[in-house]
Amino acid sequence: MTTNLADLLAALPAEEEAPEGLLDTPQFQALFAELAQRRMPVAPLQRLGVLGGLQAQISLAYLAHWLRSWFHDARANQRDLLETHLRVALKLLRGMGYLRGAVMKVGQMLGNLPEIVPDQLVEVLEKLHFEAPPMHFSLLREFVRNELGADPEEIFASFETRPFAAASLGQVHRARLKSGETVAVKIQYPSIVTTIRSDFRNLRALMAPMRLSKDWEDLKESLADLQRTLEQETDYEQEADTLNKARRLFREDDRIVLPRVYESLSSMRVLTMEYLEGVHIHDFLAKNPSQQERDHFGTQILRAYSRMYYAGRMNYADMHPGNFLFQDDGRLGVLDFGCVRPFNDEEWAMLRSGPQAMYGDRQDLLRFTKRMCNLPEDYPDDSDHVRVMERLSLWTFQPMRQGGPFDFGNPEHLREGANIYREMVRKRYTRGQPLCVLIARMHFGSRALLYRLRARVNSRAIEREEVPVTGWPSSTTED
Amino acid sequence: MRVNAETKQATRQRILDTARKLFASKGFENTSTRDLASAAGIGAGTLFNYFPTKEAIAMTLVADVLTEAHEEFHKSAQRAESLEEDLFGYLACQLRHLKPHRAYLEPVLETALSPVASSAAAPEGESIRVMHLDAIEQLLRKHGHRQSPSFVLLHLYWTLYTGVLAFWSRDRSRHQEDTLAVLDQALKMFVRALPAPSAPSQPKAGGVS
Repeated sequence: MTTNLADLLAALPAEEEAPEGLLDTPQFQALFAELAQRRMPVAPLQRLGVLGGLQAQISLAYLAHWLRSWFHDARANQRDLLETHLRVALKLLRGMGYLRGAVMKVGQMLGNLPEIVPDQLVEVLEKLHFEAPPMHFSLLREFVRNELGADPEEIFASFETRPFAAASLGQVHRARLKSGETVAVKIQYPSIVTTIRSDFRNLRALMAPMRLSKDWEDLKESLADLQRTLEQETDYEQEADTLNKARRLFREDDRIVLPRVYESLSSMRVLTMEYLEGVHIHDFLAKNPSQQERDHFGTQILRAYSRMYYAGRMNYADMHPGNFLFQDDGRLGVLDFGCVRPFNDEEWAMLRSGPQAMYGDRQDLLRFTKRMCNLPEDYPDDSDHVRVMERLSLWTFQPMRQGGPFDFGNPEHLREGANIYREMVRKRYTRGQPLCVLIARMHFGSRALLYRLRARVNSRAIEREEVPVTGWPSSTTED
Repeated sequence: MRVNAETKQATRQRILDTARKLFASKGFENTSTRDLASAAGIGAGTLFNYFPTKEAIAMTLVADVLTEAHEEFHKSAQRAESLEEDLFGYLACQLRHLKPHRAYLEPVLETALSPVASSAAAPEGESIRVMHLDAIEQLLRKHGHRQSPSFVLLHLYWTLYTGVLAFWSRDRSRHQEDTLAVLDQALKMFVRALPAPSAPSQPKAGGVS
């Protein structure tokens, strides 16, 4: 498959309302041309067995778009400053190529947006989830020996030398325990933590010239947040802990399964879990499932998320397709808890009025929306900020408010969400609002998934069953 | 009194055993040759009959474990799918054996193993180098590289190898995991520099049990 960067850029979200044609000036055109022609440092990535050229090109295209959006609101008299920024950004982009974790995150993010990225790109991006090339076995053996104190051949009855899946920071091997159980052993690439830290150090150094700009603090915060997220994901002990907590939330008759963790065969960098059978969404859809089956799995996905959210006080933020397994007997397997984040008390208190806002009147909705956006209660209802965020709340609550089976396969619904999300990012209404962004991202991710399933799900019924455990005030609306 | 060969060998071994203990407990820098002689129960002058410097003692300790590692690697013969993997296996085996000596690897590297070390000053270093490069040539042949590598390639290899050792001696990451990445990438770099093998090696798939 061949492609070129211009096509990829064209496939990305369209620029809207470019101010005063600034981006069309010859200097900027030249800089963007340079950006577009600049080759991603693909060779070292390929040599490290990290990415194919195409995936790297897609990530580059996305980053180009991201950078361009930085300069969107600029006034002409800032041009000199912006050009400096752009040069810095170009260097930064080159540095980013080595940030395996971040590049894969970008890939995964795009893989979740089927309405925005053309189908064939989504397919390629999905491969990022599952088909990263392996570490050879000698390296893996040495790493496992350091982590678990013995060679994989000694620890396990058998161990497949080829991985069956790529995790965002490592790879997963199938093995059999001496007691007979089949397990999935997730093994992190050595030195990922050091690489992340050094990449972020480099990024900050390269971005130093931008410290006078008005966005510096936000940018710094976003970077720190990304770094924290990536570093958190490298700690498999924490992931095991979260997984154990989440696992306890489900009963046999929920038909939602989370893998059991084998603690004695796990460490900060190696995670041994029960191997779950099942296929990923692509293979599930290839079997032409009936509407009933689609609806069933859509319901299970929302049920799994809602249970973790309400009963577990945790946000399963990583809604990418690779994390769900569709089993023949109708059970849903949920994988990968590296990104799951518990709500703190302050956040939990803020979310408390969610169910009321969901079914209440406009005042309930506005109160909740302003609180989530950290806006004072008397902030004007007709301000653009409040209107955009109100649209986001309405879009989020629509399936619950409507009641009955909601058709998530309706492309209009997903497109509307994408437009709102893009608008709020572009207008920077997301700044300093990590909770709001996290939740919006989760809803957007889950709906992208349900859209691909073309599932119809009674979201209200799920909410009604899952909310009471919180003891939150419920709404008066009846089914 | 004439000292026979057996006594000489025993004294030499005693010095080495004492050094291993003292280097481990006090550190290489904080151990003087006087400390060593006194702990081994010999005069300082006698010690110099066996080893000209403290570094030479460290080098001998390192040379011994590298020889052990070399023998273990050839005995175990792990199945490797590629030249890179085989080279990695050989060097990882060395690092495992060297682990108790990591704290004083740096002076050994400087005086005996680094590309700028003089072979006359450290004959143990030279013999280690010869043994090591011979093992590398054997692995190259096993993977279809029939021609002996040029001196340029061997020098490149040795530079990478000692560079990895230097990195490892100071690696503070968890279980020195960063060194595994550096080693992996250094070997990939070396393999790319080689001319194409005369017969491609056959990768095999499958599990181990």
